[in-house]
Amino acid sequence: MEQVWILPAIPFATFLVLGLFNRFIPRRGDGLAVLGMAAVVVLVGVVLADFQNFFVDGIFTPGGEHAYAEEWVDIGQGFFLIEFSTYVDSVTMVMLPVVSFVALMVLVYSIGYMKGEQRYGWYFAALSLFVSAMLLLVISGNLLQLYLAWEGVGLASYLLIGFYWERQAAAEAAKKAFITTRIGDVGLLIGIILLWRVTGSFDIQEIIHAAQEGVFDQTYLTVAMIFLFAGAAGKSAQFPFHVWLPDAMEGPTPVSALIHAATMVVAGVYLVARMLPVYDEVLIARDVVLYTGLLTALMAATMGLVATDIKRVLAFSTVSQLGFMFVALGVGALTAAMFHLFTHAFFKSLLFLGSGSVIHATDEQEVQELGGLRKKMPVTTITFTIGSLALAGLPFLAGFWSKDEILHDLQKHGPMWAYVVLAATAALTAIYTTRVVLLTFFGKPKNQQAYDRAHESPPIMTVPLMILAALAIVAGFVTYTGVGEALGFVGGIGEVVYLPAEGAHRFELDWAFAAGASATAVAGVVIGVAYWWGDAKRAVAARNWAPELHQLFARRYYIDELYQAVINNVVMGASRVVAWFDKKVVNETGVDGATQFIGFLGYRLKFLQTGRIPNYALGMALGVAALAVVAIGTT
Amino acid sequence: MIPLENFLILSAILFATGLYGVLARRSAILILMSVELMLAAVSINFIAFASYLDGDAFSGLIFALFVITVAAAEVGLALGIVLRLFRERQTAYVDSADSMKW
Repeated sequence: MEQVWILPAIPFATFLVLGLFNRFIPRRGDGLAVLGMAAVVVLVGVVLADFQNFFVDGIFTPGGEHAYAEEWVDIGQGFFLIEFSTYVDSVTMVMLPVVSFVALMVLVYSIGYMKGEQRYGWYFAALSLFVSAMLLLVISGNLLQLYLAWEGVGLASYLLIGFYWERQAAAEAAKKAFITTRIGDVGLLIGIILLWRVTGSFDIQEIIHAAQEGVFDQTYLTVAMIFLFAGAAGKSAQFPFHVWLPDAMEGPTPVSALIHAATMVVAGVYLVARMLPVYDEVLIARDVVLYTGLLTALMAATMGLVATDIKRVLAFSTVSQLGFMFVALGVGALTAAMFHLFTHAFFKSLLFLGSGSVIHATDEQEVQELGGLRKKMPVTTITFTIGSLALAGLPFLAGFWSKDEILHDLQKHGPMWAYVVLAATAALTAIYTTRVVLLTFFGKPKNQQAYDRAHESPPIMTVPLMILAALAIVAGFVTYTGVGEALGFVGGIGEVVYLPAEGAHRFELDWAFAAGASATAVAGVVIGVAYWWGDAKRAVAARNWAPELHQLFARRYYIDELYQAVINNVVMGASRVVAWFDKKVVNETGVDGATQFIGFLGYRLKFLQTGRIPNYALGMALGVAALAVVAIGTT
Repeated sequence: MIPLENFLILSAILFATGLYGVLARRSAILILMSVELMLAAVSINFIAFASYLDGDAFSGLIFALFVITVAAAEVGLALGIVLRLFRERQTAYVDSADSMKW
């Protein structure tokens, strides 16, 4: 368990080798990247097996080894101690398999998808860098190291969104993603500093203990945790930072699958989950998490309902589902949040890779230009449909179990109206996923050229699709104790991932509740089919019935416009003032003024240099006399 | 025995005369001679203090000898420079040598 640092080290080594030498390696080193990732998956398995040893009689009892710290930089005898530390617990154990496995699938898929691409080697290098940073993030035992990795994934995300930097839109999307998340990251840094000021430590476990012992002032801790959540919201694209994720779809589709669906965007969820015992101490901050998640879930779902770009629909759906996870965390349901994170990673990466398969085949990603692909791309159609139904929460698919869990916890611990809103959002989810499936794969081809180009993708792309589809079906069953035991765990996910304060809980299917949730999902699918089947007559009618509403959703509540206006007026105005100050005061007065003054002084004083020896001699004599006077005066 | 003050007054008079000469004369030769006066004043001081403070110590006397040696060397060098100046400018007045300026 101490050697868990090897996990991020392997992809980092791959990144260095590929980044520097990819043109000297056969096939630009894609095999090396895949091999390295496969090694990581195997090692995650080893860590997973080792992790089982920390369960004594079914209860997680951390030993000395699972937390490991190496002193790195020590300023002022422990005053500012930077450690390299790893911490592995059940939350990490959910993240590790998800990150490594989805990364492996995406890398394999990319071999087919990115074939013949310029900068092919660099693509794999950047992807490896991302995985390395992400693994470092989830094993971090202290907040400073987590922040380092946090920025690392942000950098990799920036590089990969802007992978096609020749395209203006891609370059701008990369910049937007970087800056938007950075605004949140400042909040995260402030939060970390606030926590450190009181505890004098960056260690997550020490901070949690300090919070539970009441070292913090309540208001102070609330503010600190809200700042921390700002970082999480930025990374996880929650309102008001959600604007970057839909634009991030400019990157290559496998990147969207890995970074902007399955792994990086859940870093925020991971952070809040990791700090959840602290959030439990300050319920106001936890409510902020809850309502932000709820608002984002609903807003993103409505935006997904009208988006016409297949990848953007999925992006809005990701934002919405992340909202679900934050809602779960907001009511303190760690298990439900991590469970949904787990299942969501599989079916959402499946959906993205499926959409990538469509884009690869047709060069088209507007659903209005697609349609009828079912006959030409059977494997993609089937796997994509499975992913969609899992996302919709149809009974017994992966999404059903986890979404059910979230709704159940919300009903138990949250306000009733919040439950109603989230249930409605779940229905909306089912509607928009059905819509995108119907518009893409069913009905008549709307663009004959795109349809003629379409063909099934090569096996290197469809095999990962099939594996992920299988997982989208079965991943939810880990909630059952029996399934967990069969896999070698002490029980279902509720018995592995839980807050120590709450204790493990065995999963029992609440039939009445599940029936209600399934009815919602099925109703959503039925509505979707009714509205968008064939020529989508009803959907068109609905749009014409309330064009303003449609416009509101399609323009994303005008939030992007609002931000642009703020940037144009406030930020640019402030920048002009700063630029004026810099130009006039700092540069012309400060820098140029100082040199001009010295030059002027030099011009004046140079005439003292007469070249006449008697003048110098007089100067010397007067100087000595003055020194003598000073010397006598002081003694 | 002549009191120390007498020597010091003599030395001060010599030094002041030399300083006046250095500052007021224009001829390089006269300036050099004035410098020699100042050096002589310093030597007198050294010897006077040396014999008054400790009759057996030689350090003050040795210093005086050094001053004489250095003065000889200095005059040798300085006269060479004055000679060059005279060849260049046809005069030994120091204010004719003022090209080393702004």
